[in-house]
Amino acid sequence: METMIAVEGARKYYRVAKRGKGLTAAVGQLFNRKYEIKKAVDDISFSIKRGEIVGFIGPNGAGKSTTIKMLSGILYPDAGRVEADGFIPYKQRKQYVKNIGVVFGQKSQLNWDLPLIESFELMKFIYRIPREQYEKNLRQFCELLDMESFLGQPVRQLSLGQRMRGDIVAALLHSPELVFLDEPTIGLDVVAKEKIREFIRYMNKERNTTIIFTTHDMQDIEKVCNRLIIIDKGKKIYDGSIEEIKDRYTNVKTIEVLLENGGKETETFDVRRTSVNAVLERIFAERRVKDISVCEPEIDEIIRDIYEGRLRLDAPSAEGGAL
Amino acid sequence: MGELRIAVQSLKMSVQARMQYRVDTLVASIAVFVRESANIIVIYLALLKFDAINGWNVNEMLFLFSILFLTYAVVVSLFADLRDFSRMIREGRFDRLLVRPRGLLLQLILNNADVIASVGHGTLGILLFLLSAGRVGIEWNPVTILYYLCAIIGGVLMQGGIFIICSALSFYFVETGSIRSIFYWDMRRFAGYPISIYNKLIQTLLMYVVPFAFVNYFPAQFFLRKPDMAGYNEAYIYIAPLVGVFVYLLAYLFWRVSVRRYYSTGN
Ligand SMILES: Nc1ncnc2c1ncn2[C@@H]1O[C@H](COP(=O)(O)OP(=O)(O)O)[C@@H](O)[C@H]1O
Ligand SMILES: [Mg+2]
Repeated sequence: METMIAVEGARKYYRVAKRGKGLTAAVGQLFNRKYEIKKAVDDISFSIKRGEIVGFIGPNGAGKSTTIKMLSGILYPDAGRVEADGFIPYKQRKQYVKNIGVVFGQKSQLNWDLPLIESFELMKFIYRIPREQYEKNLRQFCELLDMESFLGQPVRQLSLGQRMRGDIVAALLHSPELVFLDEPTIGLDVVAKEKIREFIRYMNKERNTTIIFTTHDMQDIEKVCNRLIIIDKGKKIYDGSIEEIKDRYTNVKTIEVLLENGGKETETFDVRRTSVNAVLERIFAERRVKDISVCEPEIDEIIRDIYEGRLRLDAPSAEGGAL
Repeated sequence: MGELRIAVQSLKMSVQARMQYRVDTLVASIAVFVRESANIIVIYLALLKFDAINGWNVNEMLFLFSILFLTYAVVVSLFADLRDFSRMIREGRFDRLLVRPRGLLLQLILNNADVIASVGHGTLGILLFLLSAGRVGIEWNPVTILYYLCAIIGGVLMQGGIFIICSALSFYFVETGSIRSIFYWDMRRFAGYPISIYNKLIQTLLMYVVPFAFVNYFPAQFFLRKPDMAGYNEAYIYIAPLVGVFVYLLAYLFWRVSVRRYYSTGN
């Protein structure tokens, strides 16, 4: 399959002005500003094929939005190469963005005081969408996202989930082949989340749209796509399927301990490195245990453990196990 | 003509959005009108004590003011986003323009109109024009009408250009509010009077730095030919509309160079 996105060694460092305290520092800053370098994206590489759907997951501040901004041409990389849909995004901005759709979940592009339809009409003119295509897309998207009931209400009266659906439609009316969704489910209730996931799946399956989305909800990824890229502190720490990650961690167990004083503790470890015996012995030696259970961790927990450095992804895979 | 359609839809949206708050919009527009009128009335009353200032009588002064208000009414219906650009950057609303396949300045200009300021200043401008134009002895014929329209367009471009330059500066500096208030608002205040009343420094500023003199003083001289024009080159009257075009082009180039910085810093 054809490559849609190629990112090689991309870096984005922000310079953040250091702020001292007090008057002297404030005056000093006028002449001699001190900067701190914030490595938002630090040497990331990946490639995505046409028609793929990929979820980026990572904790707050991991560099997800910065990555999306480099891919959509809003920022250029300080080093490395970013290519998408055959373009260098920031260099050939006007040409490139004709064929992409971008949603920033935290920043609406809809007019707050007017019904959704007015913002949609504006998109029709900005993207020069032919009338039939516009009407067909509008009808279809509204049906899929169940929007008829609130199309006529001013955006400020909509719930967050309704507004997000509006933002997604506004970004896709021109039938882009490449779509970036930055936290499209943030702060939404379960029903709205499910609607949006269904819609993303639909766009990918039926229209072969290449979709990149970011989230910190593992469910989004499990329900929508197969490929997952985990980033943390500006680095890519995993790129592969969800199954693979689960497989790699078949040797990881979580022990949940219910203490006599009512407290609860969990410990996650790799059975190839630490024996179950040793862990149990330590627990029994230190605590008064009321109940104990051993379980396979949920994917959410695996991810959290990876972030927090308790598990390492480059751990040797199980004998004859994962790839 | 895709641009025209965007313009029509955007203007419709700006007006419709204000119409959601009819009373509020009406009251705010009236408030702007009253605030600006109050300034003019104070000046008017003060001027009544004098026969004339440097040869300009009260009605001629009002004519001078009317051009400022009329051009400003157009400026805020086009350049509202550029007037408030640093806020737009701060709130991250500029990003969305970058992912649309249209020129950035074009989008900024067509996007939002400040309906309230436009109505408030526009009403006062029209009123001042009606009050003064008949009393200062202007003879309207195709040539004078054409010159007047060109002067208004030039005045709009000059002020729009200043807003663009101030906006472009926000790609270099975090806070540009004070630059704008000195270069635009303070200069505009001076431009209410014939520039011949000022010292050399202020005259130079008004002619060559922030050329407000070409927005209303020299165009008014086309119609009024006051004796203080002797102190300036006659040609200034005729090139006045072009000065606006020139400032705008300069602003455009500066914008093009500066906006590149955004791609590297984010904000
Ligand atoms: N414009 C900016 N200037 C300075 N620092 C920034 C800027 N944008 C983001 N950052 C910093 O870069 C890091 C990555 O941010 P971001 O890409 O927004 O992460 P995420 O979307 O994964 O939460 C964070 O530490 C954030 O504080
Ligand atoms: Mg983010």
